Amino acid sequence: MTFDFALVLENVPNIARAFGVTLGVWAGAVVFGSIGGFAIAVARRWGPTPVGWLLRAFVEVIRGTPFLVQIFLLYYGGPFIGLSLDNIPAGLFGLSVYAAAYYSEIFRTGFEAIPKGHLEAADCAGFTRAQTLRRIVLPEMTMLVLPAMVNMTILMLKETAVLSIISVPELTLEVSAIGTAHYAFVESFTIVALLYWGLTDLCGRAGRLAEARFSRYRFSHS
Amino acid sequence: MTNAPAIRVQGLVKRFGKTEVLTGIDLEAARGEVTCLLGPSGSGKSTLLRCIAFLEEATDGFIEIDGAPLGFALGPDGDRMRLPPNDIRGVRSKIGMVFQQFNLWPHMTALGNVMEALVTARGMSKAEAEERARARLAEVGLAERATHYPSELSGGQQQRVAIARALALEPKIMLFDEPTSSLDPELTGEVLNVMRKLAEGGMTMVVVTHEIGFAASVGHKIVFLDQGKILVEGTPGEVFGKPRHPRIDQFLDTYLDRGAAGLL
Amino acid sequence: MSWDLFLLLLQASVTTIVVSVVSIVLGFLLATVVCAGTMSSNTLARGAGRLFVSFFRGTPLLVQLLLIYHLLPQIGLDVPSEVAAVAGMALCTAAYQAEILRGGFGAVPKGLMEAADMCGLGAFATFRRIRLPIAVRLTLPSLVSEIIMILKASSLVSVVGVIELTRMTQDLAASTFLPLPLYASAGVIYLAINAVIAGVGTVLERRVARGHA
Ligand SMILES: Nc1ncnc2c1ncn2[C@@H]1O[C@H](COP(=O)(O)OP(=O)(O)OP(=O)(O)O)[C@@H](O)[C@H]1O
Ligand SMILES: [Mg+2]
Repeated sequence: MTFDFALVLENVPNIARAFGVTLGVWAGAVVFGSIGGFAIAVARRWGPTPVGWLLRAFVEVIRGTPFLVQIFLLYYGGPFIGLSLDNIPAGLFGLSVYAAAYYSEIFRTGFEAIPKGHLEAADCAGFTRAQTLRRIVLPEMTMLVLPAMVNMTILMLKETAVLSIISVPELTLEVSAIGTAHYAFVESFTIVALLYWGLTDLCGRAGRLAEARFSRYRFSHS
Repeated sequence: MTNAPAIRVQGLVKRFGKTEVLTGIDLEAARGEVTCLLGPSGSGKSTLLRCIAFLEEATDGFIEIDGAPLGFALGPDGDRMRLPPNDIRGVRSKIGMVFQQFNLWPHMTALGNVMEALVTARGMSKAEAEERARARLAEVGLAERATHYPSELSGGQQQRVAIARALALEPKIMLFDEPTSSLDPELTGEVLNVMRKLAEGGMTMVVVTHEIGFAASVGHKIVFLDQGKILVEGTPGEVFGKPRHPRIDQFLDTYLDRGAAGLL
Repeated sequence: MSWDLFLLLLQASVTTIVVSVVSIVLGFLLATVVCAGTMSSNTLARGAGRLFVSFFRGTPLLVQLLLIYHLLPQIGLDVPSEVAAVAGMALCTAAYQAEILRGGFGAVPKGLMEAADMCGLGAFATFRRIRLPIAVRLTLPSLVSEIIMILKASSLVSVVGVIELTRMTQDLAASTFLPLPLYASAGVIYLAINAVIAGVGTVLERRVARGHA
């Protein structure tokens, strides 16, 4: 067996472009997903009951089925109901929906973990619902959900690789194309693996740093 | 051998890294004697007890149980040497220990907790072990609770099961590390009563406790530890009676409850 | 969509279940070794364990599958794609399960082991009778979640040519032009299998819950 990493290195510009697509889709899905997830969690807690049921069913379906099946349904089934998306928008949309379901669960447990007394105190202080949310719930929740958020965000990065299957020109797809062109699969997938590994490791470190910084706001009681 | 004390501690030193937690402890307990270890938090009471149980290895010094060296002995060349594991196991089997947090195994019933070591470590048949375990549970007043899991028992009941578990192995010495400190006040009595009965039955006991009343009425000897040293040692009358060491005065102010005041 | 199509999907789910179960079991066995490594006092074993966990948790399963699928023939192991798929999934889940186990062993209160020590149980009996059963109880919910994760992740082995539920759905969707009902049915089947796993998990958890502090 021979490893010829030079073949891969010749394609650095391609790889860089694909890496950009990966980062873009990932960032988009994390941003839209966490906004959507937050909205779902708020609606499930404070919205009308039937809406809560519907959202719960939605979250359970997304969390109970493979992302690949979801993205196939969207990409190949979408056109049949007038939802024709190109691969990048389809990938971004699909991953955002997927992320929203998972993030909403994190926020939901975050809401539940906030001691009732803190909300009652805000009520007594005459805060409106919106004020309570912004001034009490949000800051407290940030500390509570941070570790899970970091985890999920790393998970989403790894999930972007699945988008190669619907031909989103991201890292995994582009590098396997190089592999096919030069018949150097092992080399190319080793490089991809190392790139992902480096990035997830970096995220993990950043997350731990952030947790350490935020931990001084932790509840003083146990 | 026969007139060796039940416990002899000589020049015991224990360091955790650079901090010296025990700075040369000498202590003797005769057979059937109840020694109560008192002292402020962090004074090294648990560490001393854990060294006697060999849960911690002392940095220096010697411990003898019934005349037999525990863990370390003076070698022929005058060096402190570690004894073979078999010897250590043999001596340790004479020691029973009761913890502040009970430490019952949550996946076994009360009976299972008491039987476990009899079967697994002592190779007893299940029937024989069960008979003995039920007898010990009855002695601590828990015959009816044998098939309950720890989560289904009150703190006081759990601690009594823990005592039964230790007693089932027929130890010569029982060590107690704050056995009632995690109990609600109304539950401490039932545990202290079991311990009192045990003392009356002639068990050699070393008890770390903040229950001054118990120490004064049941203890034969009070040992007051402060900053890793024995500050005062004597009968309850000597230690608690006037004139008192000022540190003891201070300590009693902190820990003495109204009920116990009458006992002194 | 006809019954025949749905039956084909059900048949393919058998492959999904078999691949998942074999991966989970092999992964668990490997995880015990990896966990022992990460908890070992030997620096080399600990380093190797940590590197393993970090790599397989830090890279996408899809990339791992593709790498192993192409690597095995190159090192002279011409195995069917099912074997490559199971190997990849087992390695990946081993990393996750090893961390779950490590958490479980770490969460067993030290005092319980000290009590066993004072009762003369010895190192081996303490592990077998006290630490292991308690750690397994503590990790049961996480292990059930991991099984569900792996079942869903098994959809990815379709890319290395294993005809499991997702791949069958894909093939049928291409030939029948019925992607919506087919993918929806596949989703329902995944949900149903997961519901069964979660149900069994709940029953197991309830059964061991009695013996808990
Ligand atoms: N494993 C350890 N590592 C480092 N330091 C320790 C360890 N165990 C105990 N210490 C230190 O040794 C000192 C004595 O601790 P010990 O637990 O023996 O005190 P204690 O008298 O039992 O106190 P308390 O009444 O709070 O139980 C303390 O300063 C403690 O911080
Ligand atoms: Mg203590």
